[in-house]
This record gives sequence, structure tokens and C-alpha cells, in this order.
Amino acid sequence: MTTTAIKPRRHKPKRSTVLTIGMLAAAAYFLLPLFWLVVASSKTSEDLFSTFGLWFSDEFNLFANIKLTLTQDDGVFLKWLWNTLLYAVTAAGGGALLAALAGYGFSKYRFKGNRTMFLIVLGAVMVPTTALAIPTYLVFSEIGLADTPWAIILPSLVNPFGLLLMRVYVEAAVPDSLLEAARIDGASELRIFFQVVLRLLAPGFATVLLFALVHTWNNYFLPLIMLNDPELYPITVGLARWQGQAAAAGGASGDLVPLVITGSLLSIIPLVIAFLFLQRYWQSGLVAGAVKQ
Amino acid sequence: MTATTQTRNRQEGPRPSTPTARKLRRGRALAGYMFVAPFMIVFLLMFLVPLLYAAYFSLFREQLVGGNVFVGLENYTRAFGDEQLWTGIARVCLFFLIQVPIMLVAALAFALALDTGLVRLKRTTRLGIFVPYAVPGVIATLMWGFLYGPDFGPFAQLAEKIGMSAPDFLGPDLMLGSLANIVFWEFTGYNMVILFAALRSVPTEIYEAAAVDGAGQWRIAWSIKIPALKGALAVCMIFSIIGAFQLFNEPQLMQSLAPTVIDAAYTPNLYAYNLAFVGQEYNYAAAVSFVLGLVILVGSYAFMFATNRRSRR
Amino acid sequence: MNPRFSRRTGLTAALAGPLALAACGRHTVDPPKSVTQDQIDEAMRTPTELNFWTWVPDIEKEVALFQDAYPAISVDIVNAGQGNPHYAKLRTALRAGNGAPDVAQLEFQMIPSFVITEDLLDLGPYGAAAIGDQFVEFAWSQVSGPNGEVWAIPQDTGPMGMLYREDIFQAHGIEVPATWDDFAAAAQRLHEADPEVYLTNFAPSQGAFFAAMLWQAGADPFGGSEGPDLNVDLTSPEAEKVARYWGELSEQDLISVDADFNDQWYQALNKGKYATWIAPAWAPTFLQSAAASTSGLWRVAPLPQWEAGQAVSSNWGGSTSAVMATTRNPIAAAVFAQFINTDPQSTATMANEQFLYPPTKALLEDPAFTGQQLEFYGGQEVNGLFAEIGTTVAPDFQWAPFQDKVYADFTATVGTGVAEKTDAFAAMEAWQARIEEYAKYQGFTVRKP
Repeated sequence: MTTTAIKPRRHKPKRSTVLTIGMLAAAAYFLLPLFWLVVASSKTSEDLFSTFGLWFSDEFNLFANIKLTLTQDDGVFLKWLWNTLLYAVTAAGGGALLAALAGYGFSKYRFKGNRTMFLIVLGAVMVPTTALAIPTYLVFSEIGLADTPWAIILPSLVNPFGLLLMRVYVEAAVPDSLLEAARIDGASELRIFFQVVLRLLAPGFATVLLFALVHTWNNYFLPLIMLNDPELYPITVGLARWQGQAAAAGGASGDLVPLVITGSLLSIIPLVIAFLFLQRYWQSGLVAGAVKQ
Repeated sequence: MTATTQTRNRQEGPRPSTPTARKLRRGRALAGYMFVAPFMIVFLLMFLVPLLYAAYFSLFREQLVGGNVFVGLENYTRAFGDEQLWTGIARVCLFFLIQVPIMLVAALAFALALDTGLVRLKRTTRLGIFVPYAVPGVIATLMWGFLYGPDFGPFAQLAEKIGMSAPDFLGPDLMLGSLANIVFWEFTGYNMVILFAALRSVPTEIYEAAAVDGAGQWRIAWSIKIPALKGALAVCMIFSIIGAFQLFNEPQLMQSLAPTVIDAAYTPNLYAYNLAFVGQEYNYAAAVSFVLGLVILVGSYAFMFATNRRSRR
Repeated sequence: MNPRFSRRTGLTAALAGPLALAACGRHTVDPPKSVTQDQIDEAMRTPTELNFWTWVPDIEKEVALFQDAYPAISVDIVNAGQGNPHYAKLRTALRAGNGAPDVAQLEFQMIPSFVITEDLLDLGPYGAAAIGDQFVEFAWSQVSGPNGEVWAIPQDTGPMGMLYREDIFQAHGIEVPATWDDFAAAAQRLHEADPEVYLTNFAPSQGAFFAAMLWQAGADPFGGSEGPDLNVDLTSPEAEKVARYWGELSEQDLISVDADFNDQWYQALNKGKYATWIAPAWAPTFLQSAAASTSGLWRVAPLPQWEAGQAVSSNWGGSTSAVMATTRNPIAAAVFAQFINTDPQSTATMANEQFLYPPTKALLEDPAFTGQQLEFYGGQEVNGLFAEIGTTVAPDFQWAPFQDKVYADFTATVGTGVAEKTDAFAAMEAWQARIEEYAKYQGFTVRKP
């Protein structure tokens, strides 16, 4: 490889067909199960269990299924969707901001306990919390948080991964010289953060925001244990409830299987839109320009 | 990475010790606390307090008959001698050794390929690879479970059509691999995006200079990009360790498809869950969770120690 | 450091100990000897809000009937999940001492599991002691305690029968098996005729099915247990007979061993992989939606018997309404639990609109219910057949006070043993050993009769 002859390179490299095909093949693998989901969402429950899974059946029932999903139980699905949106956006927005503040603080300031606190945060992530739902519930119930939206939003504000990522970003993207210059200009520490640093952190911030969004969106176990009121359910718990009803051994079941599948499809769409939107964000040349100093 | 070392040097360098400088430093420390305080307060209340309470909880034993007694570390001694727990830990170790390297290498390859700018339909492919991350684990497992189906799954049906029999994805031999595939599917894009974002923050002048010097894409990737990704890769690695050892959703849901393959203690986290919610052994489940946390901590620390030593050499 | 935290004295108290927390937060009803009609009337006139956890869809209809009868009481319905998630939440809320419902749906097999933790209110003093004869015997005995307690009111049941594919039977000239011996012979014949089709499927994780099999054979593994004294006998001759029977069918590959209630299983039902489903009275309606493409092909017959000429069945599934001991409104809750499960209109709605198979004699003797002809079953009067079967369910069968754990261990031992064609009786011994060990750990005194 070292012997490659010196050749003039154009500014834009030539596209590679082999690489493109390889990447498209990879993308096909990643999209295959989703294709199944779309196909399955277009079937009646009868066809769902009696026709080949990876292709559409004669009857295209997608819109009827969507209508059923949105109207089942007086339109509770939309309520769940709204709850999820509320939890995810507040938790992700707040969580990303807290992570950015703390990541910056840990990275750029020397204070007592800096390293210890950071390590405690990372250490706490190591303990799986699934089986600790009961003690957690007891504590939350004692502070009066159980069965409120706060029981979902507040814990989701803590995003140790976001913190770690933010710290890495700050170290890479925020030059000390810039901070010194701002200080010499007499800017306060907070002002420096909000007016100078936050802009530099935009790509990292967008990443953390997105991850936190997905994390809260997909949160299942915490709301399952914490929430009793179905009016507060997020979509994951709601769908699991339908799923349970669909497979109800020992009782009545409606034709809920298509609803679970269509509901799954519908619940993914907002996230895909968020991805598209935030992806453009990383793309922007502004970010690349800011990172270079 | 170069930026990091610069920062470090500057921080640790000798400082003038004039009174104003000291005052300034104290002010800076205060500002530091101010920045980390919101996160730490929420962390303390929402994470650490329940965790500490659970730790306390793990020192008791509550029986269905006979009530609650303080047993000190008895739950922990039981955990250290619990064969089911350690079989599960061994299994997730194996899972980790198979799944994580494949996933990270694939993620790295995808990120590098996209970063070269040689790929057409770049946005589409990137979104395609990343989109599974947006799919809740519950739905991901539902979908793959269907695809794996031994009688009526599409793979099985296609194989039947050409007169072959599809591998038994849900059988005891392939189950771990089938689970690894689901996790690979869900998280490769996620890791790719982290690596890709990290690549974007490497100043492009360095590549351009290298390209002018005649380095090919391979050489640039190997000598410039991958070293620059060390930090991000370490982040991915640590979180993959945690993810693998805390494996729960996927095996729990696959259990309904293959109950004889995935038992209650298939992964340690599943075991802890079943102890708490099926066996009502809440205290012991808490102890098992902390033992598992300790194992993960040791594993992560060992990894960081190993990579730090290597990078120092 | 953080004043908001130190002010939380409640939390500090909570940290004093798990027991302290349970004790300080938890209030339970002291069950009275008897409750007078005046007390009941007064309570039912007092504006009260009840919280009811159930996963029965559209239960609003029955609740509306109750609220018409008692306008002062309003009922808040919560679907907290079905089966295990429901119980996980219920247990959590009961421990915390707040957030638990007044009334909750409990499946029959879970009653002793909540009795042992003293979470259920005895409904006897609240009028329930007098309504026992409205229910079929086996259902009532399932909710009754050894000292005459009434722990819950039956909501629906699942007497066991056999759903079979008439077309498959006819195609291979198979008679409907009357005994388990006939059933085994038919399994062999069918599988030889068409290796793609199995006479039935044994789901290795369906402890409830196996319990029903034990029940029919006269094994009562936990029978006679009381409080801390637990009987465990899974190796009795009756239990051994059942285990060996299914073990041998599987060993000879005459039955399939697929997990049930998942996508593959639904597909298999639709595509005719199983010629029978040995299933309870709620199954016919379930099958109508789960295997819609096979409409008209199914018929229902009684459960095959161990001895020719006998008629013994058992029960799988069904639920009850139980009142939690933590309720603040014991009278209203108890009246509610009784009302929705005994009021003629309410029970009829459950049977005809939610398709819950009724436990009340009134409905089971009502021709409007038993005479319904189901097209899916070729016009057969399925409800009527199950009503007959229901009278043959043996009344004596007791559940363990930790039945969910018993089922989990079943899957790990016997279920896996049958599926993997290993010695089924050895698996029963392993099951027994696991339960004994667990029971001892939980503080029970284990006896093996």
C-alpha cells in the first residue's frame, strides 16, 4: 500500500461501485425485518397467519388496519403516542442539556471530586436495574413520584452515556484558547457556555439528543412498573397491553394481533422522521467548520 | 485525540500562584460545580438513591413464610456460589466475544466507507443501517422471531422450496447466534453513527494533506482515521460490554418461542428478573444485580487498563 | 448538600428498613366477623371511588351496570397488563402500600399466591359466604379457603375439552378418541398417514395445560397444604401416569412440541399442523380469531378419559375478582366484586360479548347461552357441550402458594424433558426437587405425603 504511485487527486473522490453495492447490501439486511413489518401491517389477521410472510397478500388492508389501530379503545393509541412524544422530547431535550453542561464541566474545570463523581456515574451504569424495580418503586412511591409522568421523565434525564459522549466531544471540539479568549473579553462562564461552547457542541448535542430520544421512546420496563393509569402509558406499554390481550390464554381476545403489528409500525415512524431531521443537522457544514479551528 | 493531549498538558502545566490566579481558580472550580450540579442532583435522586436503597435491601431476606430478617452478606455468598448465575455469566461472556467484535468491526467499516465519500446514495444507506436503532427491542425481537420461525418463517419456507432444510435458528446450538444477530441488527447502526460523528470531528486538512502526499484511502483509514477513533471506539466498547452483560429484552422475548432453550437463568439479568418477579426473591435478586454490576465493572476496568497500557507503549 | 433531599424525612424513614417501609405505608383491613345490611347500605350510598385492575376488554359495560345500581360509587378501570405483568405490578403496588387497586382480576391459580402474602380480603363477612351455590362447584371450591374464607368471586372458567379438525379426522378415517389409549393409537395412525400433521401439540412451557392433565388424572400435588405447611407430591402414581403418557408420545414423535401462543403456533393452527387442541371452554372463541382461515373445520368433543366410560374433566384458566386487603373501601369493593360476577345482566354480558366462559349455574342452564350454534364449529352447540363438561370437573385440586414459580420450574424440567424426549418421570422428580428446595428457602415446612 505504501508503494502507491503519486497520483493527482481531485477534490471530490470518484464514487466506488463496489463499495456502493456492499453498503446497499448491508442496508438491505438492516431493512429486511422492517419490510416484513410493512407487509404484515397490510394483512388481515386471517392472511397474517396463512400467507407467505415476506410478500403482500391479495387483500391490501394497511389503511383499514391503521384506522382500526387509531380508533381502538376510543383512540387510546393517539393518547399513547402523545404521551410518548411528551416524555421523549422533554427527557431527551433536558437530558441532552444536562449532559452537555456536565460534560463541559467535567472536561474543562478542575474541582474537587471531579474524577470521583464521574466514575460514580459510570459505575452506577454497570448495575442492571431490571431486577431492582421493586426497591426503585418503593423509593419513588415514597417521594410521591410513582404513577406520575415525572416517574418517567426525571430518571430519563440522567443519561450517563450522553455525559460520556459529551465529555469526549468537549475535549475534541472546544479549544482552551477559545475559552481563554472569551474570558479575556470578560464573558461570564455561563455566557461562554451558552454563546460559544454550545454551538461548537452542536453535533455531539444532536447525537445525544437523538440517543436519548430513542432511549426514552423505547423505554418499557420503567413505565410498566411506575405507571398504573393507562392514560399515562407510553406506546411501548400500550402495545404490550394489546399484545397480552391478543394472546390472552384464558379470556376473550379481539383481533388484536394486526393492531399490535400496525401499532409497532406507526410507533417507529416518528423516530425515523426525527432521524432524518437530525441527520441533516450533523451534515451541515457549519458544524464541520466550527470543529476545525 | 491530539486536542485531548493538548488540553491535558495545559491543565497540568505549572501555573502562576499569584493571589488573583488563586481566586480565579476558585471561581473556576465553583463554575465547574455549577455545570455538573444539575446532572449530579438528578443522578443522585433518580439513580443513586434507589440504587443505594437496593443495596441495603440486598442485605435482608424476606420469606413468604416467616417474614423479613437481616442476613448481612448471605445473599452475596449465595450468589458467588450460585451455579446458575455463573453459567449465565459464562454465556454472556461468550456472547460478548462473538457479537461485540463483529459488530464493532462492521460499524467501523460502515463508518469509514461512508466517510470516504466513495459511496453513492450515502444518506439512504446510512439511514438504512441506522434505522433499526429506532426500533424498540421488543418489536425487533418480534420481527426476527418471525423470520427465524422453524416451520413457517420465510427462511424456512424458502429453504423448503429449494429442497433444503433451513438451520434451526431457535435450537439450542444456534440460539446464542440468533440473539447475537438481533443485537447486531439493533446496534451496529448506533455504533456506526458514533464512529461516523467522531470521524467528522477530525480536521479534514489532515486527510487532504495525506492525500496530497499520495496516501490511498486504505492508508488514510488505517494510519489516520482509526487512530483518531480510539476514544470513540473505547466508548463503544465499554457500552457494548455493559449491553452484552445486561442482555435481557431479547432473550426474555425469545423465551416464548423457545422456552426449552432459553431457561430462566439464560442470562444473568434475566435470572435476576425471574428471581424477583417469578420467585419473589427480591432481596437475592438485588444481590445478583450488584454482583453482575461488579463483574461488568471489573470487565470494563480490565479493558480500559489493557488499552491504556497498550496506547502508552 | 442538598436541602431538598434532607427535608425528605419520609424517605429517611423509608431507609430505616424494607420492613419499616412496608409497615408504615401499608394499611390493611381487619376483617370483621360480620357486616350488617345497614352497614352495607350506608357504604353503598356514600360517594366512593373504587379502583379495579382487570384485563377484560370492554369491562366498562359491566361496570356501567354496577354504577346504575349504585350511583354513589364510581369505578376507575385500569388495565395493568395481562398475566405476569399484571401480577408484577400488583405485587409491587401492594408492597409499597399505595397505588394498589381495591379490586383486581386474579386467575384461579394465583389466589393462594396472594393469600400467603396476606394481600386478599376475606369476602365471607360481606355477603359472599351466601352466594356459593350460584356457582359451579369446582369454581367455588377454587376460591374458598380451608376455614370457609371466600378469597375471590369467580368470573370465568375453563373446563377442559378437545377441539379437533373434523376434516383431518375424516380424511384419515380416525374416530374421535374417547380414551387416552384411543388418543395414542390415533396419534400413531395419523402421523403414519401424514408425517406433516400431528394429532396434537404439547407446549413445553404451558404449565397450566399440564396442571389440567394432572387434575383430570386425580393427582393433586399440593392438596392438603395449609399456610406454612406445604404438601408437594409430583411423583404420585397418578402424576407419573400423566408424565409417562406424554413423554412416550413425544419420544415416538407422535406429537409436536412447539411453544404455544406465538406467531408460529398461530400459523400451525391455520395450516393444519395440529389435528386437535386439547383446550378449555374459552378456546373456541379464541380459535375463531386466531385461526380464522379454518372456519367450519373444527368440532369440539369431551376430553379423552383414562378409563373407558368415565367422564372426568378439569379446568385450565379462568379468572376471579378479588378484593385487596389494602382497600380503604372494603364494603363497596366486596359488593362490586360480587355484583359484576353474579348480576344476571352483567354475567350475561361477559358470556355473550366478552366470550368469557361463565361459572354461574344460571347461565350454564340458560338455553339462550348453551344453545348458541357456532358456525366456526359447523353449527355445533359448543357452549352447551362445555356446560356438560363443566359438571364433570373434579372439585378437588389445590394450587401452590407460589404457582408462577411452579410453572416456571415445570418448563425447566418436565416441559423440557418431554420436548427433548428424555425420561419424563425423572423430570417429574427434578420438578419435585426444585419446588421442595424453593419452598424450604421461602420458609415453608415441606411434607411429601
